Amino acid sequence: MSISTERIASKPVASRAPGLVSPIFSPAGRRALRQALLAVVLPAMVIVAWQIAGRDGSLFGGVLPTPDRVWQAWKIWAFGTTGLSLNPYSGTWLANLLFSADRVGKGFVSAILVAVPVGLAIGWNRIASGALDPTVQLLRPIPITAWLPFSIAVFGIRDMGAVFLIALGAFYPIVVNTAQGARDVERNLIRAAMMMGAGRWTILRRVVLPASLPSIFTGLRIGLGIAWTAVIVAEMVAVKSGLGYVLWDAYYVGRMDVVIADMATIGLLGLISDRVILLIERWVLTWRRLQSFQS
Amino acid sequence: MGTITFENVSKTFSGQTEVRALDGISLTIGEGEFVALLGPSGCGKSTLLNLLAGFENTTEGTLLFDGKTVTRPGPDRGVVFQEAALFPWLNVWQNVVFGPQVQGVARADYESKARNLLKLVGLEAFAEALPVQLSGGMRQRVGIARVLAMSPRALLMDEPFGALDAQTRLSMQQLLLDVWQSLGTTVLFVTHDIDEAILLSDRICVMSARPGRIMRTIPIALPRPRSILSLTSPEFVAYKAAIMSDMKVETIS
Repeated sequence: MSISTERIASKPVASRAPGLVSPIFSPAGRRALRQALLAVVLPAMVIVAWQIAGRDGSLFGGVLPTPDRVWQAWKIWAFGTTGLSLNPYSGTWLANLLFSADRVGKGFVSAILVAVPVGLAIGWNRIASGALDPTVQLLRPIPITAWLPFSIAVFGIRDMGAVFLIALGAFYPIVVNTAQGARDVERNLIRAAMMMGAGRWTILRRVVLPASLPSIFTGLRIGLGIAWTAVIVAEMVAVKSGLGYVLWDAYYVGRMDVVIADMATIGLLGLISDRVILLIERWVLTWRRLQSFQS
Repeated sequence: MGTITFENVSKTFSGQTEVRALDGISLTIGEGEFVALLGPSGCGKSTLLNLLAGFENTTEGTLLFDGKTVTRPGPDRGVVFQEAALFPWLNVWQNVVFGPQVQGVARADYESKARNLLKLVGLEAFAEALPVQLSGGMRQRVGIARVLAMSPRALLMDEPFGALDAQTRLSMQQLLLDVWQSLGTTVLFVTHDIDEAILLSDRICVMSARPGRIMRTIPIALPRPRSILSLTSPEFVAYKAAIMSDMKVETIS
């Protein structure tokens, strides 16, 4: 934020030349640093407690490896040599991560491309709502896991099956939130657009869509979370690569250190992709952010 | 251009309990005339305006604008809403040129006009600002500018200054007087403020509630051009006293 410069002038800290004031010392910079430190406290405490509770590198009689063992396994998984190594996971971290991320990307984008238009139609048009909404609500309670046999039967053990499940899982929250957003558009905004000569299509594109964006982004964030769930489920059963495949495979051969490193990787990827959506949202919805700041 | 004719118009809202919002409204507004609809809340004055705007359909009677039956909203009847109803994701400039843009007017044909309108309402320095960054009065000035950008034949204003503080309201009334005196567009102005109705209009239609009827029509012969200083003239006070006794506004004590 750029608000810091004015305030700093009146504070004793900033009596040095402005160029010497590092961002850390500005109020906003300090706030950001404090938030970052706060975020780390809980995970750090859990990891330390977990490490201390362990004996000979594991907990619960050898079942659960301690964080240092997980870290060792993770390093080899990420940076080890591939090929002739005795460790089948050595050096395959990035490749598997990319497999999963690629599937999530494809599935999530497909979900957006279908769910946003369908959601707008349901929220905006009574006929579309009558024709589509009941079917969506009928299919929505069916969990992604229940679609697994269907997906394998139709698409086989291939990428397409995983992408289908991800797209399906992400579709519902996006379509429901988009429809809600389109339904909630302020009546006078629609009237204003009609009064200025806009036709139905123009109103949909230039009024209903932008007015629905806050809800659409809510749907996107929930949908992305489900996409990461779906990719792991799909890879555990329906394909032979990716973080979900490694997770299940490592469990079968008793490599709990790799299992936990895999889980941590999924968590980090989910966190990062959510932050990316948030950044896009902040950029697209400047008008909304200003509104909430001032009220 | 800009003539409005209500012939025995009624409006009933159906629902669990039917509400007869307007009953037998007959009203003719001539070209360039400024007519105020004055009445308490719930008397149907906004409904009357919504019918003319084309937002609602009449239940009975004939409603003509320039001799044609009103069926839908259109840029020939510019509506100024109470809460401005600007698009919050568009900046001031984009809001003002929205009308010409969606009507397919070429950029060269609306640009200089829109620029002049922003100057007219005193917002040329705020072209890039978002509505949320403006005060209520400024937002309403954008609302007026965006309607004028379409060169409507009539302005329909639904309590446009009702949500503003007293001082801002005065400056907006002055602005509207200036604008109207230079453009001469037909105006239908809904208000519950007696002062505002007298100050602005050529004719006041006083409405009664349930069902909404036009109780009395009062021509206002204050000289033009007017300004907010007209509010202090003896003629103004005489009109106000007459209307207050008409509307049975009583002082308590």
